[in-house]
Amino acid sequence: MNYVLKRTGRAVFTVWAVITLTFGLIRLLPGGPMQALRGYLMQQNPSITTSELQARIEALTAISPDEPIWVQYGNYLWGLLHGDLGQSVWLNKPVSTVLAERAPWTLFIMTTGLFLMFVIGIGLGAFMAYREGSNFDVATTGIGILLQSVPFYVVGLVLIAFVGYQWELLPTGGHYASSVTPGLNLPFVFSSIKHATLPVGSLVLTGFGGWALNMRGNSIRILGEDYLRVARLRGLSEGRIALRYVGRNALLPMYTLLLISIGYMFGGSVILEEIFAYPGLGRKLIQSIGRRDFPVMMGAFLLITIAVVIGVFIADLTYGLIDPRASGGAERESY
Amino acid sequence: MATNDSIDTMTQAEPIGGHADDIMTVRDLVVSYETGEGKANVVNGVDIDIHRGEILGIVGESGSGKSMFASALLDAVEKPGQVSGDITYQPEGGEAVDVLNIPTAQLKSLRWEEISMVFQGALSSFNPTMTIKGHFDETLRAHDVDQDEGIERARELLSDLYLDPDRVLDSYPHELSGGMSQRALIALSIVLEPSVLVMDEPTGALDLLMQRSILSLIDDVQEKYNLSIVFITHDLPLVAGLADRLAVLYAFEIVELGPSDEIITEPGHPYTRSLLKAVPNLDAPLDTMQPIEGSAPHPSNIPAGCTYADRCSLATEECLEEHPPFHDVGTDNVGEASTDADHFAACYHWERARAEMPLEIDADAHEGTVDRDRRPTADDETVVTLDDVEVHFEKSQNILDLFEEPDIVRAVDGVSLEIPENDVVALVGESGCGKTTLGKTGIAAQRPTGGTVSYRSQDIWATKDDGIGDIAYEEIRKSLQIIHQDPGGALNPNRTVMASLAAPLKRWQPDLESEDRQARVLGMLERCGLEPAADYANRYPHQLSGGEQQRVALIRALLMNPDMILADEAVSALDVSLRVEMMNLMLELQEQFNTSYLFISHNLSNARYLAEKSDGRLGIMYLGEIVEIGPAGEVLSDPKHPYTKVLKWATASVEPDQEVSEPPIRSIDIPDPVNPPTGCRFHTRCPEAREVCKHESPTLGGDVEGGRVHSASCFRDDEDHEYWDSEPLTDEDEMASIDETV
Amino acid sequence: MLNVSRTDVDSEYAFEVTAEETLSRRDRIRHRVDQFLLAPARILWTDWRARIGLVIIGLFLFLSLIGPSLVERPEPLGPLLAPPWPWGTLEYPLGTTYLGQSILSQLVHGAPNMLKMILSGALFTVIVATVIGTTAGYKGGTVDGVLMTISDIAMTIPGLPLVIILAASLPIAGNPYLIGILLSINAWAGLARSLRSQVLTLRESEYVEASRIMDISLTRILGIDIIPNLMPYIAMNFVQQARWVIFNSVALYFLGVLPYSSTNWGVMMNSAYQKAGAVTSLEAFHWLAVPMFAVVLVALGLTLLAQSADRLFNPRVRARHAETVTGENGPEDEEESEPTTSVGAVS
Repeated sequence: MNYVLKRTGRAVFTVWAVITLTFGLIRLLPGGPMQALRGYLMQQNPSITTSELQARIEALTAISPDEPIWVQYGNYLWGLLHGDLGQSVWLNKPVSTVLAERAPWTLFIMTTGLFLMFVIGIGLGAFMAYREGSNFDVATTGIGILLQSVPFYVVGLVLIAFVGYQWELLPTGGHYASSVTPGLNLPFVFSSIKHATLPVGSLVLTGFGGWALNMRGNSIRILGEDYLRVARLRGLSEGRIALRYVGRNALLPMYTLLLISIGYMFGGSVILEEIFAYPGLGRKLIQSIGRRDFPVMMGAFLLITIAVVIGVFIADLTYGLIDPRASGGAERESY
Repeated sequence: MATNDSIDTMTQAEPIGGHADDIMTVRDLVVSYETGEGKANVVNGVDIDIHRGEILGIVGESGSGKSMFASALLDAVEKPGQVSGDITYQPEGGEAVDVLNIPTAQLKSLRWEEISMVFQGALSSFNPTMTIKGHFDETLRAHDVDQDEGIERARELLSDLYLDPDRVLDSYPHELSGGMSQRALIALSIVLEPSVLVMDEPTGALDLLMQRSILSLIDDVQEKYNLSIVFITHDLPLVAGLADRLAVLYAFEIVELGPSDEIITEPGHPYTRSLLKAVPNLDAPLDTMQPIEGSAPHPSNIPAGCTYADRCSLATEECLEEHPPFHDVGTDNVGEASTDADHFAACYHWERARAEMPLEIDADAHEGTVDRDRRPTADDETVVTLDDVEVHFEKSQNILDLFEEPDIVRAVDGVSLEIPENDVVALVGESGCGKTTLGKTGIAAQRPTGGTVSYRSQDIWATKDDGIGDIAYEEIRKSLQIIHQDPGGALNPNRTVMASLAAPLKRWQPDLESEDRQARVLGMLERCGLEPAADYANRYPHQLSGGEQQRVALIRALLMNPDMILADEAVSALDVSLRVEMMNLMLELQEQFNTSYLFISHNLSNARYLAEKSDGRLGIMYLGEIVEIGPAGEVLSDPKHPYTKVLKWATASVEPDQEVSEPPIRSIDIPDPVNPPTGCRFHTRCPEAREVCKHESPTLGGDVEGGRVHSASCFRDDEDHEYWDSEPLTDEDEMASIDETV
Repeated sequence: MLNVSRTDVDSEYAFEVTAEETLSRRDRIRHRVDQFLLAPARILWTDWRARIGLVIIGLFLFLSLIGPSLVERPEPLGPLLAPPWPWGTLEYPLGTTYLGQSILSQLVHGAPNMLKMILSGALFTVIVATVIGTTAGYKGGTVDGVLMTISDIAMTIPGLPLVIILAASLPIAGNPYLIGILLSINAWAGLARSLRSQVLTLRESEYVEASRIMDISLTRILGIDIIPNLMPYIAMNFVQQARWVIFNSVALYFLGVLPYSSTNWGVMMNSAYQKAGAVTSLEAFHWLAVPMFAVVLVALGLTLLAQSADRLFNPRVRARHAETVTGENGPEDEEESEPTTSVGAVS
């Protein structure tokens, strides 16, 4: 229980820190969003008065530049707590509305990608460890190293060029066909999956190798442990040893890795979605930079970060479930 | 080949096979590995019978092949090792089983159901992500044993081993202390009621007291469950009292085999005789303890003749050329090959060995004895004074734990001690008693949370903080040095010996020329027997043996020219036969460099050797307190504190007639130092405890400071104390309830 | 073994010994060179993966350091979108762009910027992480708590979006060094955290304690006892971060969200994609493929090097390859062929 509480505390603290950072970025960066926005507004309407300008900025960013900085900060926090991320300059819609329709799609392709990578990588890695030294192992290790060295967007571009344009097998962009109606109906689900295949595919193709190599290393280490030897002597079945002994213990460090890669993955959504013209948070973020739509930009950034924090939080909590040692004692630190 | 010779002789004399009821017979067992330079035999032609219902002790130093032998008994040698020879298992009233040549399915049920095994390091034998109960469950299921019945048996076994079944079964391995997990592993290994139990150093990583307690439990369990036990260890005294027969393993083969008491009183092989003398123990006169020179052969390069010849003082041409067969050396029928012979040694010169290598020698005859012409006198200044020192640790805290009450570990609680120049103080206690913390506090490597530590009557920490006093802090720092337990860990793996040793000189004599610095280091290396010194200086730590690493660490400390050296378990990690040698070196160098030693050990024999030989003191620690201290000889011959008596009991001796007795304590697990018992801290385990001990804490009587008076903190020391009118504590239930996790 | 009797002990008192022969200066330099340069090179060369990695990285270094002075700047003089050799001519071995520039020339002249970004990013990451990780680990207490909380947060913030935002709002004007650092803005956090936990272990190690007790200064302890033991890990992360910088700088340039002043591989891809539609038609695909292939190749070289980093810093391996270190045939072999598992025989 204490463990859960601690992790929750940390997650909340991180979110708060990121909000503060976002606020700082908007408000304090010299030549940062705030000033850029001011310049943009003045450029659009050269005759604008100072008070009009302030009011406009306040409406757009949910930050009122006149007030003392801590009041601004308080208002900003208060606004965020109510889901107020400000107003889009370009679309003239609340940022929250703009982002709400994008967020599920990012979540969809990223979690699918991460999940597939993880599962394929772990299965393959464990299998490679069992066949250590075989031709299969050597070949897959080589392929793994090679795939690790290919950035996902390279595979993505090649896939778009050939599978998308040359052979016209799969769509090269968008999240679902315009002919289907969103909702829980089969054509929509099908279309969504079809549109997600290439982005997710390029992620998984380049990502699973690293996971497999890692899992292979862990499994080989576990295979050399004393308790494995004792388990064999005790006559346990190979299946049980593979699952309960090797699998489970080799998985623990992978989980920590998963934790770290969530951040990297969601960060990568910026590139992935842009290349596949996939309308998610990342693409919105890039679009808003091009349009100098700072409220949307900051909102997207905040949302991506919160998604990562939640992901890490969930992984953290479940780690306690799979490793009995995690919830008991903290790391020993003295001095 | 050497092995063939021994076989031939064996069949001629039929020395071993004649026993009526053997549960296992091993013939010409060879375990080999392919190495770059050809085949290396790590078990080289071992023949032995295991009698039904006996405890057979197999003694060998590290690298003698004993673990491989253990694995081979279950046909469980790890790949790429190859096993050849015959191992036959003879179940009671059943058909003999050829262990090395049975189908996998049969082997699977043979293991654990008939022949079972306990490994060293119990913690690594358990799956860290499964409860203890999970381990029992899956074992029972894998062997189609009724679950309820099996768990019931497991519970009974656990309580036979002084464990609380409910608590232990629901625990994860990491939640148990070393002693507890080792006992749980023993229970797991016999839950299927095997007939043979092979134990490979089952107590290796544990404290002496726990070792002995477990040994006495093994003795009970063996009787109750009618087991035949093969007990493999490097510790001859430990197993001597337990085992019915002993086999001595040297260089991958058995060199001597016989009844325990005969092996101890009248060993026939020179190696056994030397080994007996090399082992520090409590009873033998100090001067009989001698190191064995040289080292055992490498498995890829086993000599054709006697493997011990190059270290043996009796070796002749014959020994070098031909592998010696077993000779019947039984004392009842010396020299005659008879069918009931039971004591054999693979040595041509066993008669000469007995005549020329006495187990007890006159003190004068022994060369290399350190004659102490200096011992601390009243004139010697006190180097370090500890005054009512307390060291309390807070258990780890993190930023979000601010609101929780921190757990406080009372590592050291109110200890006063004075160490004069040229003195030796040995502190002994179980792990977790705070002896290392106390030692580090003594050399100012650890800041005390209460009390003062002074160097030549000047408060060290005040000097460091405020710079007051005549002696600079740097000077103090330089004067108090350390040698660690783990020789491998004490040296930076990335630096050569020269670089590691030059560091202190660079720091303290920066104006020294680089050449002079090197010459000094080389001189010290040579002085400590690391020759050729230039060669050793260029090596990395991993290229040194444990004993050599420890010498380098000792040199490093001495190069600082310190007044006191903390030797923290400095010999515990070394092989038994090297310990005396290392301690002798320490004492010789002490003479030369005028240092004091604060020697810390969990091993009473080692502490006794060092303290008694240097005419120093021996202190006994328990849960952060010194409970008894005095001149080493007096403390051991007339222990006043019950805990000292317990430690003495726990220290195996090589007396032939000793028997494994019940532990003289009421609970074998040490209480949690976070929450030490009230009153006398030992009252929860003390066999003599009475009501008053629960509430009142005794103090260390006598003149402790600087004096060499023997004193103990026990009410029994005071004849008029109310203790004598108090009710004895004999609550049997307390046993389980004190079983704290660590 | 202790055959020194007490009489010659006194005369041989180690503290008065001085050197009888001096090691010549040249010998010492030779020794140094052998230890720090030749031995590592020999070690790397024994491993085929490292060998391939070294060749690739060597090629890349050659390309970016010397290449620009050998190959002319890309000028729009050739045929438009000429295919690469063997379909095209050897005059433009990698073909030309839609403006008729040589793609080879673009590749070569884009390389120095890549190298600058990689180096600055990887160095920045490793240095910041080492400083923060070792300080937190060694100092402990509040310093540790604060630094690690910061690292935790930095680790959670998705790097690329932050980089994009900062690049959009900061006046970095395409300076490749700054871009490299910017791309690694929060990459140090993960490394710092794992270095810290290793320092925590090392700090408790006995040789560090011995150094402390010998009053060796903190900087020396860190420099001699702690950081060398972290080097394999640091080196591996240096290489990994270098790979990360390549991947993401190219990606962001490709998307056109980073400012630039001169060409680089990402900019090439961007032009190929935006201006020649290299993805939709195969006619210009080579323009896109060449920089992509270059990125993959350099990344592969780095991956291979990372895998052998461990060997480079392992004293066991190093001892075997240093000619001036002798005596390796004794205990080491014993250890390697000793299959028994008697761990720490403590009685």
